[in-house]
Amino acid sequence: MSFITAENIKFSYDEENKNVLDGVSLKIEKGDFVALLGHNGCGKSTMAKMLNAMLLPDEGTIVIENMSTKDEELTFEIRRTVGLVLQNPDNQLVASVIEEDVAFGPENLGVEPSEIRKRVDEALKAVDMYEYRTHAPHKLSGGQKQRVAIAGILAMQPSCVVFDEPTAMLDPNGREEVMKTIHTLKSRGITVVLITHYMNEAVQADRVVVMDSGKILTEGTPKEVFSQVNLLKKHSLDVPQATELAYKLIGVGLRYTEMPLTAEECVSFLEGVLR
Amino acid sequence: MSIIEVKNLRYTYGIGTPFEINAVDDVSVSVNEGEVIGLIGHTGSGKSTFVQTLNGLIKPTSGQILLEGKDIWEKPKEIRKIRFRVGMVFQYPEYQLFDDTVYKDISYGPKNKGLSDEEIDKTVRSAAKFVGLSDKLLDKSPFDLSGGEKRRAAIAGVIAMDPDVLVLDEPTAGLDPKGRDLLLAQIMQYHKERNNTIFIVSHSMEDISRIADRIMVMSKGRLVMFDTPKKVFSEVEKLEKIGLRVPQITKIMMSLKEKGFPVSDGILTVEQAMSEIVDLLKKEGRL
Repeated sequence: MSFITAENIKFSYDEENKNVLDGVSLKIEKGDFVALLGHNGCGKSTMAKMLNAMLLPDEGTIVIENMSTKDEELTFEIRRTVGLVLQNPDNQLVASVIEEDVAFGPENLGVEPSEIRKRVDEALKAVDMYEYRTHAPHKLSGGQKQRVAIAGILAMQPSCVVFDEPTAMLDPNGREEVMKTIHTLKSRGITVVLITHYMNEAVQADRVVVMDSGKILTEGTPKEVFSQVNLLKKHSLDVPQATELAYKLIGVGLRYTEMPLTAEECVSFLEGVLR
Repeated sequence: MSIIEVKNLRYTYGIGTPFEINAVDDVSVSVNEGEVIGLIGHTGSGKSTFVQTLNGLIKPTSGQILLEGKDIWEKPKEIRKIRFRVGMVFQYPEYQLFDDTVYKDISYGPKNKGLSDEEIDKTVRSAAKFVGLSDKLLDKSPFDLSGGEKRRAAIAGVIAMDPDVLVLDEPTAGLDPKGRDLLLAQIMQYHKERNNTIFIVSHSMEDISRIADRIMVMSKGRLVMFDTPKKVFSEVEKLEKIGLRVPQITKIMMSLKEKGFPVSDGILTVEQAMSEIVDLLKKEGRL
């Protein structure tokens, strides 16, 4: 049994509109790091909200660790299991002091005060905001706020975290820190679903799922997915610059054994063809 | 002739509190009419604070901002006039849409400027056209638009004031690659036709390298570099030290150069890299 099993999910926000999700089936194994790609309006964010029962499918089922999201009695348990970090941190911060904000989740779960203290400190350190713990969230920059929001989720110790474009507003350093945090979560056995427009982030995942018009367009390892440059471009998605350059060179007749995804891989690919 | 001249600008937050900090610290720049200026820097480097001083939204703690040679704070009561000339598009501008139709929302600026109905209609339609919003969307509620359309409607509202200087704070944040390319192309097309001056704040080095004439690099409130994209992105180490990155393609070509291959510095696009490598292969008779 997979950690998350979505079967033939269909969903529309109102009856007039067509299905935002139009038959999505997806399996995510425990401890996996899955990147979800697709352009705006393809249904990624809707799918994210399905994963912790913020939205319920019109048709089909989503089962998380043997819990169906349709079972209202399990909603609370599902939200404890699957944490959601959204695009805009301003919508996620509630308290006037950062450490209180991070403590909000565990407090509501009824965690012991001494344990809350421990979790809050650890979560703030994980996102590198510990030194700001007594500051007010509204004085932080957008990127710092997002890191606090992530800490708030971490403090609830979920077994899965779904990130909906968590780095959209961060600077390159902030993006790297969040990606580092994501890898830390993964190394602790937490399942990660990352929705992103940054291909350099998607290539770090174990598996990449590409959505288009409410359906799954293609999925596989980053290598398998990004090798299909034509398909991705046709659906106006990006590939990493490293891959694009190699793809263009292959187009003029160069040979390759493996499609490069990162800068390092591209450099050794180029060294190979130039020497 | 420089349209904007910033002299020893300083802006301090929380004066007299333990959190006192110079968000902008002794920045001086001179920007020519028609230039596209990119602003990069890590989160909290002072970029947003800096651009907010340009239209008098916040008053500098010290220093001056000259718009066509005149201090914008010379007559503080008339600072509102400056805001028609220096248009500001904030981060996530779609949150500022408020009226019941897109048309009314875009016309808010020109109306406040005191234009006639006829002129308003003209500017609203041309602004909508610039950002690629079709006429039939104008009668819709802004809240029925898609995310990308909302963003463009909000930008149209600022463009409709026909500012001489347009400031965009992370205009493409949160858009997908397609929406991002489209919006940048529209901004550049607008720039080409109007030849106004543009400040654009972005975390996307790829975007900035493509469109900016010059780049301001900020770190801890200070201006640490102000040069062409090619020059700026040649300074990989310096940028990385202050928490910035060069575009991936630039990095790839720099590594090749370090390994002894004769490629140029400061390659900014995949197209440039492609032509360099193809040239190299041809020279060696391998293509």
